[in-house]
Amino acid sequence: MAAPLPDVQLATPTPPPLPSLINARQLRAQRMGRALRLWVPAGILIILLAICFLLPLVTTLPSATRGNIIYNNEPPFSQGHLLGTDVQGVDIFSQLVYGGQVAFEISLAVTAIGIAIGGTLGVVAGYASGWVDALVSRILDILIAFPALVLALVIAQGLGPSEFHLILALSVFGIPAVGRIARGATLVIRGLPYITAAELAGTRRWRIIARHIVPNIVPGIVTFSLLGIGVVIILEGALDFLGYGIQAPQPSWGNMIANGQQILSAQPEYVLIPSIALLITVAALNMLGDALRERWGVQ
Amino acid sequence: MSPSLDTTAPTDNTGGAPEDGKKPLLAARDLVQEFTVREAGGVKGGVVQAVSGVSFDIMPGESLGIVGETGSGKSTLARAVLQAPRPMAGSVHFRGQDLTKLHGRGLLSARQHMQFVWQDPFGSLNPKWKVRSIVEEPLIAYHAGDRVRRRKRVEELLDLVGLDPARYAKRHPRELSGGQAQRVAIARAVALEPSLLICDEAVSSLDVLIQAQVLNLFERLRGELGLSYLFIAHDLALVKQVSDRVAVMYLGKFCEVGPGEAVYKTPLHPYTKALLDSIPSTEPGAARATATLRGEPPSPINPPSGCRFRTRCPRAADKCAQEVPQPRELAPGHLVACHFPLTEEPAADSAAAVPAQTEVPKAPSTAQVKG
Amino acid sequence: MGSPVNSVPPNGALLEVEDLQVTFAAGGREIRAVAGVNYAVEPGRTLAIIGESGSGKTVGCRAIMGLLPAGTLISGSARLRGTELIGLSDSQLRKYRGSDMAMVFQDPARSLNPTMRVGKQITEAIMTHRKVTKAEAHEQAVELLRLVRIPAAERRFFEYPHQLSGGMRQRVVIAIALACRPKLLFADEATTALDVTTQAQIMELLLELQQELGMALVFISHDLGLAASYADEVVVMYAGKIVEQAPAKRLFGAGGTVKMRYTRALLDAIPHLERPAHTELPVVSGRPPDPAALPPGCSFAPRCPSAADDCRAKEPALTEHAPGHRWACWHPCENGGAA
Repeated sequence: MAAPLPDVQLATPTPPPLPSLINARQLRAQRMGRALRLWVPAGILIILLAICFLLPLVTTLPSATRGNIIYNNEPPFSQGHLLGTDVQGVDIFSQLVYGGQVAFEISLAVTAIGIAIGGTLGVVAGYASGWVDALVSRILDILIAFPALVLALVIAQGLGPSEFHLILALSVFGIPAVGRIARGATLVIRGLPYITAAELAGTRRWRIIARHIVPNIVPGIVTFSLLGIGVVIILEGALDFLGYGIQAPQPSWGNMIANGQQILSAQPEYVLIPSIALLITVAALNMLGDALRERWGVQ
Repeated sequence: MSPSLDTTAPTDNTGGAPEDGKKPLLAARDLVQEFTVREAGGVKGGVVQAVSGVSFDIMPGESLGIVGETGSGKSTLARAVLQAPRPMAGSVHFRGQDLTKLHGRGLLSARQHMQFVWQDPFGSLNPKWKVRSIVEEPLIAYHAGDRVRRRKRVEELLDLVGLDPARYAKRHPRELSGGQAQRVAIARAVALEPSLLICDEAVSSLDVLIQAQVLNLFERLRGELGLSYLFIAHDLALVKQVSDRVAVMYLGKFCEVGPGEAVYKTPLHPYTKALLDSIPSTEPGAARATATLRGEPPSPINPPSGCRFRTRCPRAADKCAQEVPQPRELAPGHLVACHFPLTEEPAADSAAAVPAQTEVPKAPSTAQVKG
Repeated sequence: MGSPVNSVPPNGALLEVEDLQVTFAAGGREIRAVAGVNYAVEPGRTLAIIGESGSGKTVGCRAIMGLLPAGTLISGSARLRGTELIGLSDSQLRKYRGSDMAMVFQDPARSLNPTMRVGKQITEAIMTHRKVTKAEAHEQAVELLRLVRIPAAERRFFEYPHQLSGGMRQRVVIAIALACRPKLLFADEATTALDVTTQAQIMELLLELQQELGMALVFISHDLGLAASYADEVVVMYAGKIVEQAPAKRLFGAGGTVKMRYTRALLDAIPHLERPAHTELPVVSGRPPDPAALPPGCSFAPRCPSAADDCRAKEPALTEHAPGHRWACWHPCENGGAA
């Protein structure tokens, strides 16, 4: 039985670090940089979400599924079509907006499931240790061993492609991903004296988890999940691109890229536009995750 | 069923005589705690027996101090008493119940009267909680009154430890100094009016002047609340200051247990003497601290046979390698585990003490040292 | 009346520090970590700088060694055998570091590279300052390991730091510091992280080395006991200034005369073996002042039990009131103060 290693006790702790020597101007610049790194990506994401979810409520957009073949291949900024139309006359901007809806819906759903199920499993495993931990860890390991894309393909084949099945398949990836992070963060906190102090104070286990452990692992889980959302968006886009995700004529960024792929040399913008949308979204998510990690001091 | 607490029994290393037939508040017997250390980069792995058969009593109202250096196992011993984690062997009778045999709610309610103060004041406080919530937590867990009563009690407790509730109740640990944070930890620890407070290097990370303030707080609580203490530290002077009896620990075993003054004035174990000699003193005219201890501490994975201290002991002899010394009471309440304690003559073959590792070489002559 | 310490001590002093000031800018505020410090170290002698955290004791010595990050404002003078160290660039200081002055820090585990064998770390130090072949450096390194009393030096040469105990690691750190026989060694809380028995061994080692190598030793600590046992001269710092300075024998010897209230408080607050158990320790309330917002007048006045109005109004200067004994107090203790 391996118990935790005994601590090496220092007679007195290390002295406090020497104060920083940056002068006031540099300090202001640092602060501004930190704020920008946080609010610029956050702003971008807010704008993206607003465009995808609020804009259709406010104005009527052209259909994203049917188009008038007469008006195909319109260039951007033409009358009535902000970004033009594609080969079949479907408005590109609308496709972007509704495709974005799908992307966010799926990724947020997968992440929510991941946090709910994976997070719970991870915290329980990390806190309980012993055979519970061993069992849950094996389950998570098995889940994470499934290659997400292949699994999604299989499910799509078997059950038919749909948004719901996509979410299911990608959750198999999301749950263990969050689960491991949650377990790791819980293990770190578990070893801290204030958890033992809470146990000594008589606090029940569930309350310890809820009020001591969870608040202290939330920063880690949030920053990880932001990156995770980006990953899921890309995975979902890949699946759509391969034809195993959202099926045409329902729009999605992956579908747009697939459609535009055929005439890439002639009209590269059909591939470029959704690709840039993907890029901006995932980059903003990553930057926001990094900035939050910096602010909250998560390792 | 409590074991016999007759301290005149030769194998009973308790060092405390029950007065008037009073039962001990805490009776620990033959505690053993082990860790497995993994092999890492050239250092062999193995099983470390951090606590190897330790027994002691604490009477109600008494303070027992345990002093030991790195690797002595004193912190492990404290946690074993607490059952966090449980010792591998041995029993801990607290207020009549054997904690090693209790689980879940039984353990929780039995342990209510035993609390702990850690070395790191900030590590023992949840950084996201306010001081008020931290001190209130044990009251909530044990359903001590309604919200109003609890809040009032929290204020009383903060007052008791010298923190003005109006100024400190709403603060977070990061807004406190080390001394203040430790006071909050103490307030939480005494919230349920425990009988025993275990302090594991509780003042070691504080500055000297703050340390004195907190030590005085411990004394005051001792008087006002009738607390017993198990006080653990590496500083013998500190331990002696706050304890009635002192136990000296080396590599998982007690070398010597006795009243503080006796251990200081007439140390019986060579290790105790070496500790005393090493302490630099500020008293006028005190002899300068000397290092009478040779060599390096042996590996805890492979402790020396027989007496574990023999590899560094100037009085070690053959017998020390062959037999584990059992504790003997050489003076009232003063026990020592040594074949050749300081009150007796050293063994005939001890002048050439048996070293486990190589000799410490003499300093090379300066002629050899290239300038 | 004594003479204020503006006059430079007579030549022959190895290190002369005069009006050393160190200021940081942190969080938009100016922090005077060291506010004018004067002392001198004679060759072969031991000076103890004692203070609590925030007193500026570490910062001052790191300023002399040039180990503070760029951007710190350092003013004043620190002359090593006549050469001014303050104001030198890092590359210039590097010539002196290691060969003329060296420093040993608190945590040996941090001072040693965990992925490099200890012998190699010593030979590196040697070869930085001297032109010797690898074989010669190896030989000298083994000699150094013997010098710091590490048994089986030839075998230990090839070990990694984690294979050694804390005391041995600190000896290795000392060996590295002594690689080029510096004339001055700073020991910054070098024994604080060690057991008391190991501490005694290391302090004895340092003193023996001091004798053998004719080295001056400046050790920085919060432990007055160490100063009493091992130092020739003691300097007590509080809030960035020296508040008392005297030969150790004058402060701690029989008939010891501690004049500063702060030193008295420190002495009284330490647990003493000789005191009976459960006595109440004489305490001073409050905490050390915030270095960015020092009170006017004497920095210790808010906590001093004998503070009077003149203490709060005007800061006392460090003056030599008795031969060799300087203090900065308007109302010093009488005859060593209360026991």
